[in-house]
Amino acid sequence: MPEPVLSVSGVRSGYGRTVICDEIDLSVEAGRITCIIGPNGAGKSTLLKTIAGVLRPMAGSIRVKGVEIAGQPAAQVARSGMAYVPQEANVFRALTTHENLAMGGWIDESRTRAAREQVYEMFPDLKPLAQVQGGNLSGGQRQMVAFGMALMLEPEVLLLDEPSAGLSPLMTGQMFETVSRVNESGVAILMVEQNAVQGLKIAHEGIVMAAGRIALRAPAEELLTSSDVSELYLGTRA
Amino acid sequence: MSMQLLVNALVNAALIAPPAMAFSLLFGILRFPNFAIGGYITVGAFAAYTLNVPLGLPLLVASAGSMVITGLVVWLIHILVFKPMHKESAVTLLVVSIAVTLILESVIRIFYSADVRGFDVPLQRPYRIGDMRITKEQIEILVCAVVLAIGLHLLLKHTRIGRAMRAVSDNPMLAAIRGVDAARVTAFTTVLCGAIFGLTGVFAGLDLVIEPLIGWNLTIPIFAAAILGGIGSPYGAIVGALMVGLAEELTILVLPSTYKLGVGFVIIAVLLLVRPQGLFGTAEIKK
Repeated sequence: MPEPVLSVSGVRSGYGRTVICDEIDLSVEAGRITCIIGPNGAGKSTLLKTIAGVLRPMAGSIRVKGVEIAGQPAAQVARSGMAYVPQEANVFRALTTHENLAMGGWIDESRTRAAREQVYEMFPDLKPLAQVQGGNLSGGQRQMVAFGMALMLEPEVLLLDEPSAGLSPLMTGQMFETVSRVNESGVAILMVEQNAVQGLKIAHEGIVMAAGRIALRAPAEELLTSSDVSELYLGTRA
Repeated sequence: MSMQLLVNALVNAALIAPPAMAFSLLFGILRFPNFAIGGYITVGAFAAYTLNVPLGLPLLVASAGSMVITGLVVWLIHILVFKPMHKESAVTLLVVSIAVTLILESVIRIFYSADVRGFDVPLQRPYRIGDMRITKEQIEILVCAVVLAIGLHLLLKHTRIGRAMRAVSDNPMLAAIRGVDAARVTAFTTVLCGAIFGLTGVFAGLDLVIEPLIGWNLTIPIFAAAILGGIGSPYGAIVGALMVGLAEELTILVLPSTYKLGVGFVIIAVLLLVRPQGLFGTAEIKK
């Protein structure tokens, strides 16, 4: 078994004194996609925010490449080789696409020019929008910019919070294709996805969260064919 | 409209525009309307006065000194007062900022009394072009305001720190996720805006007289210009300043000049009723 690039153990987190997720243990290896599914309010997004440093964990350990990052602020976590794409407000509305991508490479601007060209190659639709402000982009274009920003520093771990949220079916397919392509280059991906079927189809491992805890963990294929999971979370019958 | 009125309006706008831009920048980063700007401008005027008159330094050097001193004062007040209170509501911070202005003005009154003062600059006849008159100081204010506006534009659009300032102002959470150290950006913004308030104190001292209320009298027009342009939008603040400057001068045509100060209040009241997001601001939609 390869060493996990991201390992989370015993994490408890929430807002103020309210605990939203608890006793979370998970790990993601290089080149693997782990997809977290579960009903609304299960604590999926809260968990991702905690790993990214946006929320301070109340307990537990979060390690990236073996280095403890739990409790570090988001600006510090960003330097650990992990990039996070929030579900909402994930681009700077007053900045152009070009400037947004530059912000993605903020930590090491020496690589910005080359990295930005790579992002434009990956998302050719973004190039004509280089001078358009984030606030004037469509939902799909915004998602592409947000994803592109996260790729600017060639992260080893990507945290994606509902990458298909608000996208048309066509755009959703393209987005999952892109996630797979990025993953094939060796990036570990931890993804929260409401579109559970699509998310699990490209994932290697699936995690079902319910009421703030991990209810089930299994290979993604297994979850897709499990009748219990299908009925409860996928909206289908296996 | 006479050319003289236009010149007066432009000078008025030049006096208001730089601090209105700074007010907007500060609002974008700190998320509350900082009424301490009146006190900061007064500090700037008296710092330049102290360097220029009792210490005998040329006004140019005194102005630079005032910018440094006011920048540091604004930063210190941020560290000692506003930073420890950053979790408080915007209304609480607004009230605290008014208290800061009152304290700064009172401290200045203790050391300098309420006497009216002026810089040590040679008296010169105004330049005349036809019926229009403009003083050397007014030309300097106009030129400095244009240079400052261009400088701020270049800083915001073409430098790393400027982009970080816009990013933090736009979405502080996302800026942190991308690795921006908001504390450093805030420190830079407060010092920069402090320097602009310091220079405004010098401009105001040149155009008017130096007294402890010099900053307070400018606060409402500055605030009106900032919200007219769309609070948090430094470019909108320039247009806001031009409109407030023009509105104040036009008022003199129909009302005694003592009512000039009320123009800012009227603009704020009308805007809050008609277009609260200002001319260039975006309406916030709450779910």
